[in-house]
Amino acid sequence: MTDFTSAGGEAVELRRGQSLLTVDRKTRRRNAAEGRFKVYGLIAISIALVMLVILLVTIVVRGIPAFTQTFVSLDVPLRAEVLDPDGTGDPEVIRGVMTFGYAPLIEEALADAVAETGVQTEIDAAALVQMLSSGVAADIRDRVQENPELVGETVTIEVLASSRADGYFKGRVTRESLERDRNLSPAHLDVLDAMRDAGIVSIHFNWDFVWGADASESRPEEAGIGVAMIGSFFMMLVVLVLSLPIGVAASIYLEEFAPKNRFTDLIEVNISNLAAVPSIVFGILGLAAFIQFAGLPQSAPLVGGLVLTLMTLPTIIISTRASLKAVPPSIRDAALGVGASKMQSVFHHVLPLAMPGILTGTIIGLAQALGETAPLLLIGMVGFIASNRPDGLAEGLLSPNSAMPAQIYEWAKRADPAYYERAWGGIIVLLLFLLAMNLIAILLRRRFERRW
Amino acid sequence: MYDAKLDERVTTMDDIKISARGVQVWYGDTHAIKDVDVDIADRTVTAFIGPSGCGKSTFLRCLNRMNDTIDSARVEGTILLDDENIYDKRVDPVQLRAKVGMVFQKPNPFPKSIYDNVAYGPRIHGLARNKAELDDIVEKALRRAALWNEAKDRLQAPGTGLSGGQQQRLCIARAVATEPEVLLMDEPCSALDPIATAQVEELIDELRENFSVVIVTHSMQQAARVSQRTAFFHLGNLVEYDVTDRIFTNPSDPRTESYISGRIG
Ligand SMILES: Nc1ncnc2c1ncn2[C@@H]1O[C@H](COP(=O)(O)OP(=O)(O)OP(=O)(O)O)[C@@H](O)[C@H]1O
Ligand SMILES: [Mg+2]
Repeated sequence: MTDFTSAGGEAVELRRGQSLLTVDRKTRRRNAAEGRFKVYGLIAISIALVMLVILLVTIVVRGIPAFTQTFVSLDVPLRAEVLDPDGTGDPEVIRGVMTFGYAPLIEEALADAVAETGVQTEIDAAALVQMLSSGVAADIRDRVQENPELVGETVTIEVLASSRADGYFKGRVTRESLERDRNLSPAHLDVLDAMRDAGIVSIHFNWDFVWGADASESRPEEAGIGVAMIGSFFMMLVVLVLSLPIGVAASIYLEEFAPKNRFTDLIEVNISNLAAVPSIVFGILGLAAFIQFAGLPQSAPLVGGLVLTLMTLPTIIISTRASLKAVPPSIRDAALGVGASKMQSVFHHVLPLAMPGILTGTIIGLAQALGETAPLLLIGMVGFIASNRPDGLAEGLLSPNSAMPAQIYEWAKRADPAYYERAWGGIIVLLLFLLAMNLIAILLRRRFERRW
Repeated sequence: MYDAKLDERVTTMDDIKISARGVQVWYGDTHAIKDVDVDIADRTVTAFIGPSGCGKSTFLRCLNRMNDTIDSARVEGTILLDDENIYDKRVDPVQLRAKVGMVFQKPNPFPKSIYDNVAYGPRIHGLARNKAELDDIVEKALRRAALWNEAKDRLQAPGTGLSGGQQQRLCIARAVATEPEVLLMDEPCSALDPIATAQVEELIDELRENFSVVIVTHSMQQAARVSQRTAFFHLGNLVEYDVTDRIFTNPSDPRTESYISGRIG
């Protein structure tokens, strides 16, 4: 004790003689350490920023082409002798014509269009059609069935080019790569170039990618993320409607009302553990509980939503409890002190103050759920959902569907590079959704935050 | 307007509002209040003094059962408010706290407007039938707390935007707005400057007209100025409880004397 004071005394003596204008060794070392720390911080932030920029640039560069598509503008003669040979005008008869019946009309229209450009080619009409999407006939047939009065007229229709042709204009397909291609030959490309110059072929924004349904493996040009978007939307609806009230109620009970004992400690530990459980575990649990045991339909957004609710609940509970804890106890005392009941003090004072935090936690949970793929694999929400726009809310929840991340996974899995491009495009849509959700979170937080 | 009642302001112990017998408080294993008996008179200011950690706040919080909110706290003994034991199983502490209001050591206004702060108690207790009545209650409470002149033009401004002293007076207004019968104040002036302190002391003296006031204070001068009776606590014991003048001029216990002369605590 005495040693210490005398040693301290010497140090104090030393310091006393020092000028403030010269920096002593200890201070210099401290300042150097602080400087080094700042540099580390800057380096860390720069690395993170560079990564982020690389990520965003990659996504945008690779994803943007998916939003545009190559279209061919054709004057299709809807000959009555082919579509309605007896001239009945009866929609039933027209309905009876197979897509096969439209093929010659399309061939003719395309041959005319090629001839118009003046380009000389050895490819015959039947092979020229390879430049178009194989879904074109079905498209035109749908249109004629909707408007039977079109029969007999020549209509100008913009049809999809095949994914190879599209890939050529986007740089995905080259002449070399077509040498061994069964569908398109380099000779086709000369024709395409001529049509492009003549303005018959154009590339522009394709809303069907955003709103459309998935397509079969061989027709990437027709595939869209719209139906998967609806599936994701319905799942988010289920997650929000279930996990927000359940999560918030559970947290309020645990935080404000439950006695602090071994049992509630156990619950608390388990909730924290649940938050760390891999999502695929929730997937197999959902498969066993909701599909095999409860008998809910497979691939339905309702089941997906339930599984994601299980996954989101711990996140919401943890963040809600944290924001309830952050409300100063003096506010509770104040309310109790004027004779408010526990419930009143919580709902009138504590909850409004915790609201921004609760909302942030909820949106983070929802965003996690929106991007989740693994559990959906197990309940059959990946797969080819051609088209089934739900008629109503109830049907939307129960009819088979996919979800955006599952659709992206599905596309990335397919062989055709055109699908790879669409997977990147799907990721842009997904990120836009997340961005929108974060924006909503910020707006809500602003709305609820009391700046006083 | 108070003059007519001035002659009634006598400090006798005939009119006992709160009567505590054998009160013991434990926080887990800590014995914070040891066998305290106290009678608190109606329409009187009673001061609790004593060194830090002696249990003044703890005992004060027993009087409106705020200790119930602390999980580890355990209270024994009886406390009668108007001859009813407030620790009786049938007593709902929420109802009790409407009768026994409290002002805390640290100003703790709700993060709401000044008006809503004061109106909250009357609202939840249904003291006003319409907006006009509520306005009256708020104005009266703010006037009593000597805050009306400063606050009347900014009733919708946030209560937390006031200065510390104004906030404390807002908390006092909030407490008196519910018309409690007893007002407990835990060091209400510890965050206040001398001018605000003087205002609050004046206010306490006026409140005596209608309420029984119990105030915890670290300031001997304040206890001497505002209270009629003073209780001295030491290490969880109630050492001495008497008329304020006698405590400060002629204490019977040596511990009291050393405390007020500044030798302990
Ligand atoms: N919530 C609590 N949990 C555990 N012990 C507590 C708690 N509150 C108070 N105590 C203990 O009880 C004793 C009395 O505390 P109390 O707050 O009543 O003192 P006080 O007289 O108000 O002191 P001060 O003048 O500093 O406010 C102290 O020893 C304190 O440590
Ligand atoms: Mg205290």
